[in-house]
Amino acid sequence: MSDQLATFDLCGLADKIGAGEVSAEDATAATIARAEKLQPTLNAFIRLEADTALAAARRIDQRIAQGEDVGPLAGVPLAHKDMFYRAGMPTSCGSKIRADFVPDTTSTALARLANAGAIDLGGLNMSEFAVGPIGNNVHYGDCHNPWNPEHAPGGSSSGSGATVAARIVYGALGSDTGGSIRIPSAMSGVVGFKPTQNRVSRYGLMPLSFSFDTSGPLTRTVRDAARILDVIAGHDPKDPTSSRRPVPGNEAACGKAVKGVRIGVPTSYFYDDLDTEVAAALDAAQRVFAEQGAELLPVEVPSHDEINLIWAVALAAEAATIHRKWLRERPDDYGPMVRRRIEFGLYQPATRYLEAQTLREKYLREYCAAAFAVCDVLLTPTMPVTAPRLDEVDVSAGKGMTELVMKVSRNTRPISYLGLPALSVPCGFNKAGLPIALQLIGRPFAEAQLCTVGHAYQQATDWHTRVPALAQN
Amino acid sequence: MSDITGGFVAMMARVWHRFALPADDAEPLAGMLAPMDDAGELVAEALRFDMEPSDFDRALEELAPPADET
Repeated sequence: MSDQLATFDLCGLADKIGAGEVSAEDATAATIARAEKLQPTLNAFIRLEADTALAAARRIDQRIAQGEDVGPLAGVPLAHKDMFYRAGMPTSCGSKIRADFVPDTTSTALARLANAGAIDLGGLNMSEFAVGPIGNNVHYGDCHNPWNPEHAPGGSSSGSGATVAARIVYGALGSDTGGSIRIPSAMSGVVGFKPTQNRVSRYGLMPLSFSFDTSGPLTRTVRDAARILDVIAGHDPKDPTSSRRPVPGNEAACGKAVKGVRIGVPTSYFYDDLDTEVAAALDAAQRVFAEQGAELLPVEVPSHDEINLIWAVALAAEAATIHRKWLRERPDDYGPMVRRRIEFGLYQPATRYLEAQTLREKYLREYCAAAFAVCDVLLTPTMPVTAPRLDEVDVSAGKGMTELVMKVSRNTRPISYLGLPALSVPCGFNKAGLPIALQLIGRPFAEAQLCTVGHAYQQATDWHTRVPALAQN
Repeated sequence: MSDITGGFVAMMARVWHRFALPADDAEPLAGMLAPMDDAGELVAEALRFDMEPSDFDRALEELAPPADET
């Protein structure tokens, strides 16, 4: 039975546990066994809390035995990027500086998951302080891609993508400031959902850039991601910036027809300079949507060059504000690339930072007027390339490394500046067996529509059912 | 074109932030800052007198699809 448990997706397992057909303790024990078995290869966990998780699973089983409805995530083992605070538990933020940090508060997202019955297995590997799209980490060791451990898993939510792809956990939270959910999802071949800015509370989430930080799920299926989002989204009095807009049923939107939905294919930027295999996979994805009755339309979107640059200005200024004390007192406790990327914010004039912030509204309105006047959803590659080898993106790899790092995140960064929701869905593999992903971008707060379109794609394809060799029994 | 150099960055660190920038960081930082500086100059021309950052949050809400579409 324990081998079979790994074949369930999150919704499937939750429904079986909730119905009393599978015990949360068995599911958690099997998950811990998989995590321990693959840790030497993937290095996906920073902290695995086996005893705590098993105790929580037993409590869930007791409540179910008493006839209680424990919630939509009944007994499902999850683990999260090690930057979601849990009172009394260490939260490293992937850093040496916060290695011993023990928060006295619990993040709202984790609290809501626990209230919905989820089990938390611990903290997952990540880029130091969530800086960097590759997923390497000089302090805790690199996380590795389950499809080929010589390749990067994507970052900054590296462990979140790797553990879900390797069928260790059934879902994980990550954070996304410029692509840090979508990039590891794409590189590791899982679904990643960055909701609209302010859709999910940031309370108890390590800050990198309070203007762009967004947390969301990484899962095997769109429906799984929708179920998690239904749990964590919505206003939180502890985060006054969180939206008061009601959360529609994202899971309920899975299964709606995609016929007649207008899917825009940008005529510039997103499809520039693609790997040929990525381009072929996106062509095939367009055909899948067309066969389902969606209307595919070419869409001219505004230039992203300026957006990318001023996004970097605002992000760096906010990050440097948070880190300035440590940059002065403990510069050698940062990895060199991370330190430079944060230091960069110290040299932005306040006026330039505020210009970048003030112009966000203008660019968002222009973007929506151009794109969403003619379509409902934009379809793009999540990344123009597949996962690079880890040695290609090491600090010692030189100038080419910087260019590759920038290329990896070119299709995700502008969407973070605009605050729009975006869903990354696996859409193929290259000849080397590395995943390729598509990105669906929606209007503000149109997460449910992205769920409809993404779920329809997964119903017509089987990319999300493929399992890395190292995760096969 | 931006005139930001490694020396300028090192001086900014010393004078404004009161720490010595690690020796290897000044030139790469200058290389990163220069294109941002140019872009900042370019986009700043689009600013209008009565704009402010909170306009973005209002725009997000206004640009959302009607509830019956979601």
